[in-house]
Amino acid sequence: MIAHILKLIWNKRGSNALMILEIFLSFLVLFAVLAYVFFNLEKLNTPIGFETKDKWMISLDNIYGLDSLEANQTMANLKQSLEDEDQIQSVSFGNWAVPFSGSTSSNGTDLNGFKMWSLLIDADLGLKETLNLNITHGRWFEEDDYNAAIPSVIVNSAFMDKFYPNKSMIDSTFLFDDPQRIVGVIDHYRYLGQFEEDKPCIISLVDYKKNQDHAIISMAANTPASYEEKLAALIKVVTKGDGSIIQNLEKRRINNSRQHWLMLGSLIFVCGFLCLNVAMGLFGVLWYNINKRKAEIGLRQALGAHGIDITKQFILEIIILTGVALAIGIFFAIQIPLLDVTEFEDALYYKSILYSSLIILSLVFICALFPSIQAAKITPANSLHED
Amino acid sequence: MIHLQNITKVYRTKTIETTALNNIDLDVPKGQFLSIMGPSGCGKSTLLNIIGLLDEPSNGMIKVDGKQITNYTSRATAKFRNEKLGFIFQSFHLIPDLNVIDNVELPLLYRSISSKKRKQMAAEALESVGLANRKHHFPSQLSGGQKQRVAIARAIVGKPEIILADEPTGNLDSVMGDEVMEILNKLNKDFGTTIIMVTHDERMAKKTDRLVRLYDGTQVA
Repeated sequence: MIAHILKLIWNKRGSNALMILEIFLSFLVLFAVLAYVFFNLEKLNTPIGFETKDKWMISLDNIYGLDSLEANQTMANLKQSLEDEDQIQSVSFGNWAVPFSGSTSSNGTDLNGFKMWSLLIDADLGLKETLNLNITHGRWFEEDDYNAAIPSVIVNSAFMDKFYPNKSMIDSTFLFDDPQRIVGVIDHYRYLGQFEEDKPCIISLVDYKKNQDHAIISMAANTPASYEEKLAALIKVVTKGDGSIIQNLEKRRINNSRQHWLMLGSLIFVCGFLCLNVAMGLFGVLWYNINKRKAEIGLRQALGAHGIDITKQFILEIIILTGVALAIGIFFAIQIPLLDVTEFEDALYYKSILYSSLIILSLVFICALFPSIQAAKITPANSLHED
Repeated sequence: MIHLQNITKVYRTKTIETTALNNIDLDVPKGQFLSIMGPSGCGKSTLLNIIGLLDEPSNGMIKVDGKQITNYTSRATAKFRNEKLGFIFQSFHLIPDLNVIDNVELPLLYRSISSKKRKQMAAEALESVGLANRKHHFPSQLSGGQKQRVAIARAIVGKPEIILADEPTGNLDSVMGDEVMEILNKLNKDFGTTIIMVTHDERMAKKTDRLVRLYDGTQVA
């Protein structure tokens, strides 16, 4: 029967080509959307590497307007004042590249053909405790690191995986323009947000007095929002400026993700709408084809086909057509991982190909089922007279 | 061989009830070539469809070889049509997307026969109707007479005991019609195939063993 159906399909290749094209294009769109969705879901499943609950961020104002001595003194006073507060558990100062700020600092080198690129973070001794960073190898910065001959740095696991896979680099020096010594590795620090890739990252130790942009503070659990007013007054007194802004890091995380969720939701909606249109189109085409072939159905019944044979034939026909369209689609889609067109993981594309194929096959099967069952119910006496 | 008893067929709509066949009793012995004649709308084709289990009678009973076939399940009906019956239609009903040999082997697709055997049986059937050299042609490349000969080959490929022909010469000129009748007569004589043929053509009917006339759904002769 399969050979018979293949013959029918081949002999009607002109009209079948359009259906193959429709299924092929639907597959490509679905594949692209699913790859994007899986890519984002994978990022969502990767921890950002730091806590946001009960963490507040202060954007400092007025410090740059002061002369350096006064600025150093103000920063020392501010640190002391914040640490003296019962509600505040720890404090860390940083530059503009703080969580969810959208600001990045990065650098790349190409020494002796060894290309490196990394995000750069300035941190003080308090960052680990404030954001509860997880050290996987080595240690966090210590006071002595301020005076080290070779600057101490901490890198993330993405840095290690990319540049020194399967190696321990603790206490080893590498050249990143200047020599740097890795003293510890943290698992993740995706400070740009949940939907950002886990990129290589180097954290350098910088005296907190020089990080005059932002402060991150870890609050005691259940600190009321009203405390923000008291904190703002305290900062105003110490910095002699009233432009500092206090924000909840958890809210910033949610806001940061919102536009990505919106984009993802819109794509899934558009893709769902596309699938619905394809399904309706297929349903219409199959219904029309079956109506056009009523005489053939009647004939087959007269020659001994049972209703199940008729249903099976029409479903097999469309499944084989879908198989051809998917084979062409997979041929093109698989080139992306094979040719390393993007930096995304290959598995992500293979997963998208698999799921897109399954969705298209299910969709086609469902669309073909009803018209095929109806075709089997056609009475031969009537259909043989429709020509 | 075929025994029809009180066959009645009534078509009902919401407002009208039309009696297409009214208490038809008919016995067709094995090997008989029977023709059914009558004016348009008298129920000839309806009767043929009912004998061929393509339609159900409203009332009455049909027995073939002593077995009542009107209460067969759908699966048994399909098997009966496939193994016992061969159909020939006025408009040939060849599938335009299949070539001649593929059209002829269609009934064998619904039996457990290997592809090679199917091809061999279809080639033999085509040979018997004189179309062995046309097996790779498509229906659109054949004349009306050739198409009907393909349809006959398709009807006999499964070696059925009964052939039901619905105006097989209706779309053919007299020469081609005679050719088709010659083939049917040969089948009847050589293989003892029982043939029931509906026709409008008195000349063709005279070439058969027996003539039954219908008028307004009733057997009149």
